[in-house]
Amino acid sequence: MTLDITQVYSQIEAMAGDLKSHQSDYAQKLELAQTTLKSIPPHQDRLKKKIEDARATWLVAGLKEEISLHRAAVPCPDDFMVVASDGSHIDVDRHHSTRLFLLNIGLVELQYGSKPDAELLSLPTLYFGDEMQAIRSGDGKQALIEGQLLGIKRGVEECRGLADRVCGGETDLPVVGLIDGSLIMWGLVGQRYDDFIVEQLLDEGLLKQFDRFYELNGKRKAVIASYISFPRSADVVNALRLQICPYDPVDCDNKNCKGKFEGRGCDVVGGVLDRAVFAGMLSDGERSAVFSSRSSIIERYGVHQVCFFYLKLEEEVARVEVPLWVADNNKLLDLVHAVIVDQCHKGFGYPVSLSEAHEQAVVTGADREQFWDLVDRVMQEGSLAVQQSLKQRSKKTKWL
Amino acid sequence: MVVEQKIAEVIETSNSEFLAECYDLDNVPALGSMVRTKGKGCQIYGIVYVSATHSIEPGRRIAARGKAATSEADVFKANPQLAKLLCSDFKALVVGHSQDKAIYQYLPPSPASIYSFVYACSPVEVKQFTQSLNFLNLMIESRSTVAPDEVIAAFLRYASLTHPVPEEFLVKAGKELAWTLSNDMRRLDSILKRL
Repeated sequence: MTLDITQVYSQIEAMAGDLKSHQSDYAQKLELAQTTLKSIPPHQDRLKKKIEDARATWLVAGLKEEISLHRAAVPCPDDFMVVASDGSHIDVDRHHSTRLFLLNIGLVELQYGSKPDAELLSLPTLYFGDEMQAIRSGDGKQALIEGQLLGIKRGVEECRGLADRVCGGETDLPVVGLIDGSLIMWGLVGQRYDDFIVEQLLDEGLLKQFDRFYELNGKRKAVIASYISFPRSADVVNALRLQICPYDPVDCDNKNCKGKFEGRGCDVVGGVLDRAVFAGMLSDGERSAVFSSRSSIIERYGVHQVCFFYLKLEEEVARVEVPLWVADNNKLLDLVHAVIVDQCHKGFGYPVSLSEAHEQAVVTGADREQFWDLVDRVMQEGSLAVQQSLKQRSKKTKWL
Repeated sequence: MVVEQKIAEVIETSNSEFLAECYDLDNVPALGSMVRTKGKGCQIYGIVYVSATHSIEPGRRIAARGKAATSEADVFKANPQLAKLLCSDFKALVVGHSQDKAIYQYLPPSPASIYSFVYACSPVEVKQFTQSLNFLNLMIESRSTVAPDEVIAAFLRYASLTHPVPEEFLVKAGKELAWTLSNDMRRLDSILKRL
């Protein structure tokens, strides 16, 4: 028996009713958030200081530009390139006797202008054996790569593929390297990973790839940026919470609102997302002010500290993240803004390069099945024992 | 020496027809034109009966992109990935083969080789092949094409131009068709009206 959808139907109805009952409450919160944002004076020194001094429970955006700023995109350069990367993986399957995983990196290079061209690549890599499947410390510790760690590893490899492609090119055209999702390694935040894991995945992995982009800038305009569609972040709204908060300095848990889970003064904008605030404040193609992320992991990012802005497109507000050296350079920032607006226009609302990179990377259910069948076949041809768990076999053969 | 320009490659093959993917997007041989490819120890002749340009992935629908463009070429200029995501191909009906310079107007012993290159036949080859019209039977009997009469007529019009007096060739072809389709006057009439 599969899912009985008729039983779920009434529960979905109840959920929809519940959401509807909160609609007017939410609209009020949203309006207050937008009014608060507009009321912040241009110098915003008080809020800046409050953010710096705050000990808040939520992630608060750092202010880099006037909070209510909105700016239209400049035109794209006559000739430029976009390189985008995305990835998929087949995780370790404990029901198979062979321990392995596969990463498939999709890369798309699009050249616009006088010599339009495109390159679409799918680069699968099989990781097998102890050497490839673990992260090791100098003193003999090791962590097997699978599950969440594999997701993080994939992010690093997506970025490595992007940097390889951009840095290996022989052109001097301006280039925007795009990845899907965040530049912040959220997978490492809040997890108790040993330092050697963070060091290898972040310091020696992701950030080394950012370095390659940074260094390329001596020769050509080269930026890396990430695109988050339908973002659920509330960093800016959390900054508004601080603006609303009557206490200064803010110290939510220890002093001001200790033990309070609701009814705090700042809850009047609680639950509102940044994208909703900016949807009503930006026109199509405009970007918001640039903000900096103040996530704890950002301390390790150095010159690549992650900054972000929101971008209003025809049908949604997206979040674009860039390293600090891009955010601080108006020409690079304008390039990212212009190119992403253009990419979204060409991709019917979502960057066309990312959408194609996804198509190159995607591993379907049928691909997975074919992959494991091939592994088994090649193993058998090599006279190697192929075993699988009885659970796996039972799923394949449905007994009655 | 004239270097032949290959136009496509066989990607699906059977005794009676083959599917070939073109090297250049939207540059397919004309309906009813004659192409040649390789089989085991022979050259195989086919007549193009359908061609198409479509997405390389069956599940991906092609969307209109030219609303803001001033020309069709601008669509490709603004979307360079399209050339890599679309492909043109055609199907050809096998009408004969040649071995040791002799032409046989019946099906070859084995299908065209997969991945074999496809060339557009030169007027000399077409003229040579159409010295005899026995192959017409293969076209008339074929169930592959949805509009066989259109393909037959298109081929005969195309082949006639390779002969010194096209009208003479068409009359000869008309007589051959009249003989083959003597019990199907409606179909004969439909083809002859297209010549």
